[in-house]
Amino acid sequence: MSRRGRLKLLAGGAVIALALGWLIYEGVSQSAVYFVTPSELVAAPVPGKAYRLGGLVAAGSVRWEPQTVQLTFDVTDGKTTVPVQHRGTPPDLFGEGRGAVVEGQWTTDGYFRATLIMAKHSEEYEAPHPTREGPGPGMTKTLDTQR
Amino acid sequence: MIPEIGTAALLVALALAVWGALAAALGARRGRTALLVSAEHAALAVFALLTAALGLLAHAFLTFDFSVRYVAFNTNLGTPFYYRLTAVWGALEGSLVLWAWMLGLYTVIAIARHRASARELYPWVLVVMLGVVAFFLVIMTGPAPVFARLSPVPADGRGLNPLLEDSGMITHPVALYLGFTGFTVPFAFAIAALVTGRTGDFWITTTRRWTIVAWYFLSLGLLIGGWWSYHVLGWGGYWAWDPVENAAFMPWLTGTALLHSVMIQERRRMLRLWNLSLVVLTFALTLFGTFLTRSGVIASVHAFTQGAIGVFFLTFLAVVVLTSLVLLAWRWETLGAQGELDAVISRESAFLLNNVLLVAAAFTVFFGTVFPLLSEAVRGVKVSVGAPFFNQVNVPVFLSLIFLMGVGPLIAWRRASLENLRRNFLGPVLLGIAAAAVFRLLGVGSALAVLTLALTVFVAGTIGLDVVRATRARLRLGEGPLRALGRLVVRHNRRYGGFVVHLGILVIAVGITGSQAWSVQTETTVNRGEHAELAGYRLRFEGLSESQESNHVKVTGRFTVVEGGPVGAVLLPAKKFYPQEQSPIAYVDYLLGLKDDLYLVLGDFARDGSHATIRFQVNRMVSWIWIGGVVLTLGTVLALLPERRRAA
Amino acid sequence: MKTRWRWLLPLAAVPVLALLAYGFRLNPRDVPSPLIGRPAAAFTLTGFDGAPIALEALRGKVVVVNFWASWCYPACYEEAPVLEQGWRAYRDRDVVVLGVDIQDRDEAARKFIRDFALTFPNAPDPDGKVSVDFGVYGVPETFFLDRDGRIRAKHVGAVTAEVFRTHVDALLADGTR
Repeated sequence: MSRRGRLKLLAGGAVIALALGWLIYEGVSQSAVYFVTPSELVAAPVPGKAYRLGGLVAAGSVRWEPQTVQLTFDVTDGKTTVPVQHRGTPPDLFGEGRGAVVEGQWTTDGYFRATLIMAKHSEEYEAPHPTREGPGPGMTKTLDTQR
Repeated sequence: MIPEIGTAALLVALALAVWGALAAALGARRGRTALLVSAEHAALAVFALLTAALGLLAHAFLTFDFSVRYVAFNTNLGTPFYYRLTAVWGALEGSLVLWAWMLGLYTVIAIARHRASARELYPWVLVVMLGVVAFFLVIMTGPAPVFARLSPVPADGRGLNPLLEDSGMITHPVALYLGFTGFTVPFAFAIAALVTGRTGDFWITTTRRWTIVAWYFLSLGLLIGGWWSYHVLGWGGYWAWDPVENAAFMPWLTGTALLHSVMIQERRRMLRLWNLSLVVLTFALTLFGTFLTRSGVIASVHAFTQGAIGVFFLTFLAVVVLTSLVLLAWRWETLGAQGELDAVISRESAFLLNNVLLVAAAFTVFFGTVFPLLSEAVRGVKVSVGAPFFNQVNVPVFLSLIFLMGVGPLIAWRRASLENLRRNFLGPVLLGIAAAAVFRLLGVGSALAVLTLALTVFVAGTIGLDVVRATRARLRLGEGPLRALGRLVVRHNRRYGGFVVHLGILVIAVGITGSQAWSVQTETTVNRGEHAELAGYRLRFEGLSESQESNHVKVTGRFTVVEGGPVGAVLLPAKKFYPQEQSPIAYVDYLLGLKDDLYLVLGDFARDGSHATIRFQVNRMVSWIWIGGVVLTLGTVLALLPERRRAA
Repeated sequence: MKTRWRWLLPLAAVPVLALLAYGFRLNPRDVPSPLIGRPAAAFTLTGFDGAPIALEALRGKVVVVNFWASWCYPACYEEAPVLEQGWRAYRDRDVVVLGVDIQDRDEAARKFIRDFALTFPNAPDPDGKVSVDFGVYGVPETFFLDRDGRIRAKHVGAVTAEVFRTHVDALLADGTR
């Protein structure tokens, strides 16, 4: 192959690498989700940033309004408590005193708006069930209807 | 007693596998046929013992032998017969038995097929295959003992994970593992080629079928996994970019790259180093996938560590990758290309680009999957990237790949002239542009959907053009049109099998595009006798009923279609309450259609049946994905038919 | 590529493998508890044998609070004998092991206690209040409380004899200061 051809090929490769790098960079900066505990979130809340908040659903805090499909509850780590609002049915594994991971954003109105609730099976410290290749039974996905 | 026999069988199999690997290596080095024969016998015995172990495990399940820990925790007296069989591979330990059994099976087939035809490579193939089997046997006898006893013996077992009580669970793991383990054979050949220094094209042509078979099963596994996710998990989608899904997708991407790059080596004797690296990479990714699903290192939300197994897998992965790379470095000089790339616009470079893009896609998936780990290691912050990342990064890559799917098969080898380009692509390109205009006029709003559909039409156009031309050439020979087409496809089954597979992928792409762009959903509470409405469909909530099933209680909601789809059809979404689970499990009901799927999940309900909260989705064109899977199957079968081209 | 450089090829895999190995260092179960060093929330439960169990009444003793469930396999099954042994070995030295059974069915829990012949006090946590107060994310989790009723350590996953001894011995030594 001629020198020019080689050059063209190299240039092509460089373009692809750059494009890919850019795509990855953009992708990460736009869809990064930060894991936090209630204490960490309350210590430095940034409205609009995507969080995944992990904690326990506080006993006595769950209010479910079927007619408006509104779910509110508190997530706590035993020290700090964060109020959460969600539009959608509570997932199967959701319940008071159980672990939950909620994905969403902190609002300026002082509550956490969840777009996704991943209820945790308390069984999580058990042996995994490896053949499941989809989202495992440990997690039930609910999609936000407002998306 | 039976569990002890099972354990003994696995231990003996381990010893034999180790012996077989050593004997084959020794036999190859010293040229001793007797040792080689001994290794073959060992391989056969290993397979027999693994079969026995699998049988004994199935027996333990069928007889409810709760003294076996694995049985007690994955079945109970209420588990139906059918699911007691699938429970055999329903959890970690049993899935490894199935895995090892398949490896054993592949080893035996490889012996039968290649002992005469691949004399020099074959002993080393045996070494690698038995080595991998031995690794799995170490796991099965060490950190994940499938026949371990439980004491005290429970009166009843805990029961199978209810989500695995689905017919997809018989086919999905089987297909996926056949795919995963299938790549062991090309890998074994690649290592054999490196060890013996026969890095020429022989190993490539010999393993072509193996690669296709493994690739096909992996595709099937992914599709069935999507189907399972869609109709069992009830979140309304089929792919979530979950680490576990990604783990199976990465080897699929590199395996697809391999299928294509192999053709370049066959035709132009280029890319030797690349092909060997791809095989190693693909095999390493299958191991990485198993590591990921079974160690819990990445998926903090998924499955949690059984530390020991993870360490074993990582060690094995390290051994495999480092050994392969050292071998590649050692044989560096023999891996130079004999052919050369002549021009940038040529079939070679189209294939090369296809490979680069596929590997790039695999890299981005890998990057996104290990990102939480990476960010924690580097910045100490727990950050993950979700589905938006994967979609955003991969959509441009996949669109380019679809475009290349049209270009690759028709562009000229070596150097494409302007005439060649005009002749092959002018028509399809115009067709694609026209299609874009038509879709736009029909009211397709999303630019992405228009682009994807136009590209799909372009690729279908190139395939159509090629078929029409070739058939016409045969017509001139005086054959009838149907007969000409039939002969063409059968005689050039590799090429046309590939085309059919491409068509399957196109159909899947249309399904994905349609479902992403046009699916709608609502979450609402309906009172009995009232209606839920969405996108022109109306469902009436008729009430709730409760029933006692063999191993659970089921609360079923009854919904009748009163407007839109098939009027009068009934949807019965339910919630199942298993005594061993702490929470109910949703049971989705759906009406599948070519255009729309009605998809209904029962969320919450009043005990008296007066109202129920449902998630009602109209999922568009999802069925195309499953249809694409069928087309893909047909194409693969066609490509695998014995070649008749030379005879013709 | 110069031929001598080819031997550096295997090094390419090292960062990736190192990253994966690093994954083992992180224990995804390790959810940092903000409660370490703080006084444990008081609770009173009714044991399976009907006797009341009050944490307040155990001031001055080293208390091991273990959260478990009968469906939690294999971890709870592995640690049950360990806890029982620990209880028997240390009960004369002012150490109390307390079992709190969460999200369970009564009969299954009782069978678990019978099967493992557990003799330390065990109680169900019917409304999950105690587990929330302790910030329990899953089972098993075990908390080690000093003589002043402060949570001094938390262990996630099955307790081994070594873990039990280390924590309890440290707390006993602490108390005699």
